[in-house]
Amino acid sequence: MSAAGTVRLEGIVKRHGAVTVLHGIDLAIAAGEFFALLGPSGSGKTTTLRILAGLEPHDAGRVIQDGVDVTYREPGDRDVAMVFQSYALYPHMSVYENIAFPLRMVGTPTPELDLAVREAAMKVHIDHLLARKPGQLSGGQQQRCALARAIVRKPKLFLLDEPLSNLDAKLRLETRVELRKLQRALGVTTVYVTHDQEEAMTIADRIAVFIEGRIVQIGTPNDVFEKPASIVVAAFIGSPPMNLLPGMIVRGRLTIGELDCVLDRDGLGDGAVTVGLRPGALSFASDGIPGRVELVEDLGDSSIVNVEVGDQRVKVRTQHRPGVREGEAVHLHFDATALHLFDRDSGARL
Amino acid sequence: MKPRKLIVTAVAAGILVVWSFPVLWALLTSFKTERDVLAYPPKLIFTPTLASYADVLFGSASVLPNLGSSLVVASLATALAMLIAIPAAYALARLEFPAKRGTGFYVLATQMLPPVGLIIPYYLVMQKLAVLDTYAGLIVIYLTFSLPFAIWLLVSYFEDIPREMEEAALLDRASRLRALWHVILPQVRGGIAVTAIFVFLNAWNEFLFAVVLGGNRVRTVTVAMFNFISVEQTLWAKLAAGAVLAMAPVILLGLLAQRHIVKGLTVGAVKGGGRR
Repeated sequence: MSAAGTVRLEGIVKRHGAVTVLHGIDLAIAAGEFFALLGPSGSGKTTTLRILAGLEPHDAGRVIQDGVDVTYREPGDRDVAMVFQSYALYPHMSVYENIAFPLRMVGTPTPELDLAVREAAMKVHIDHLLARKPGQLSGGQQQRCALARAIVRKPKLFLLDEPLSNLDAKLRLETRVELRKLQRALGVTTVYVTHDQEEAMTIADRIAVFIEGRIVQIGTPNDVFEKPASIVVAAFIGSPPMNLLPGMIVRGRLTIGELDCVLDRDGLGDGAVTVGLRPGALSFASDGIPGRVELVEDLGDSSIVNVEVGDQRVKVRTQHRPGVREGEAVHLHFDATALHLFDRDSGARL
Repeated sequence: MKPRKLIVTAVAAGILVVWSFPVLWALLTSFKTERDVLAYPPKLIFTPTLASYADVLFGSASVLPNLGSSLVVASLATALAMLIAIPAAYALARLEFPAKRGTGFYVLATQMLPPVGLIIPYYLVMQKLAVLDTYAGLIVIYLTFSLPFAIWLLVSYFEDIPREMEEAALLDRASRLRALWHVILPQVRGGIAVTAIFVFLNAWNEFLFAVVLGGNRVRTVTVAMFNFISVEQTLWAKLAAGAVLAMAPVILLGLLAQRHIVKGLTVGAVKGGGRR
């Protein structure tokens, strides 16, 4: 693994006319890290990636690679390789020529080039397809070809823009694992854009969550899942996402609807809060938050039970058949440690 | 056959007959003697002769040199137009530069002027520059109308190529020029061919500028044919033979490139909207 490959973004601002797309993005990525930019569409993650690549001009801020300011460097001078969402394979060239292209552009001698192309193709298992044109490949093979083109010149930084989004669900899961293995083997710093939180959680060392042009949280997948920094992150991460219920803290006691319980945390003032509970942290018991079962979604190995609590819908994930029927009155039990509390007004984690 | 299909076929056949009538008339006439041409009622059955062709090709009024002139003018105009139009269209399609919209509109606006209105200014300017009746002069004049056309047709082809294609090339350390050469141009080959054919046809068929701004030293075939029409008489058979000779190359070219041309005319019609 090379020590080179650190990336830093400092106060990146991007405007499209009167609309600000990125409101000062700060980011530091360590060498060899697999870093995911996660967010809903339009949150600015792809724009950030394009700024990293040098493909998009920005209005303020700096891009620093290995301690060197590359803000005004051309894309080709940044030693960055990118896999586009559409793959952007050159349709008139064979797979071989596609992979060889980055090496041809710097005048690599033929024997060396041939070796590198075959090695890269081997790594992504398309060495038997080198003579074909991209149009004759399946979606998965095209994606591999784009990957091979990116890794063939051993770049310092590897940028992936939703590379799996055009694959079918099964292939996506397989490729995800392979991508991670490949990145580990190469040790290249990788920035990965996705809107799929599950993908980001499983593949990345760290995640930056983008919401409306701002990074709202940076952390390991575990951090982001276990300690979402705000209501927006909580509502975005997890499938199904966290249940959010209105609550009230009065003198160390928390009230959620008809439920009243003791808070085992100090330092919380009185006031309105939003209570977050992961669907997996809830179970059915004889006491807890009262509700009525609305619908049971059977997922085979687990179930999602939709429970009506007041005028809200709460989702409960159970590992087995839930043992409750639709229309049944139930109580939702949770462990006090599983509680997430957010300030009702600011949305910040308490 | 369904009635709808029958009607469409009938209408198409009708259009074809009307459209091809002048061509067939020219073809028939070119094989007649001058006497047969003027026969009344017109003779449909006659003894075909190649006399007019012999005359037009090798006689005193041979159009062979004129075909040569047309070839030189049309080929050079096409080559120059493409040489300038390709980078210009690429810039309009892809690059950001000041007054881009204005430039694009200006290029198009030159197409809106009626050519006949420009003849006198062109004549005066060319006279001052001493390029009247020269290949260089005529070719430059042809560029004034073929360039805007070529640029605008090519812009739509360039816009059809996804931007990511050259972004990928730029990241792969290609310069913009090499990205254009290795990645973009191979993908717009068809469009370039269609544009070149159109530019060539326009130049080959042009008459107005050729007759006023050329005519003696540089006499294209369209102008030469006009010489068969004089005050005393019109040599119909020779005129027709000349016309057939002038039409043959372009009809051949059209047939060869037919598939590309149809595709070229409908570019952007389906997805993405093409021209801005």
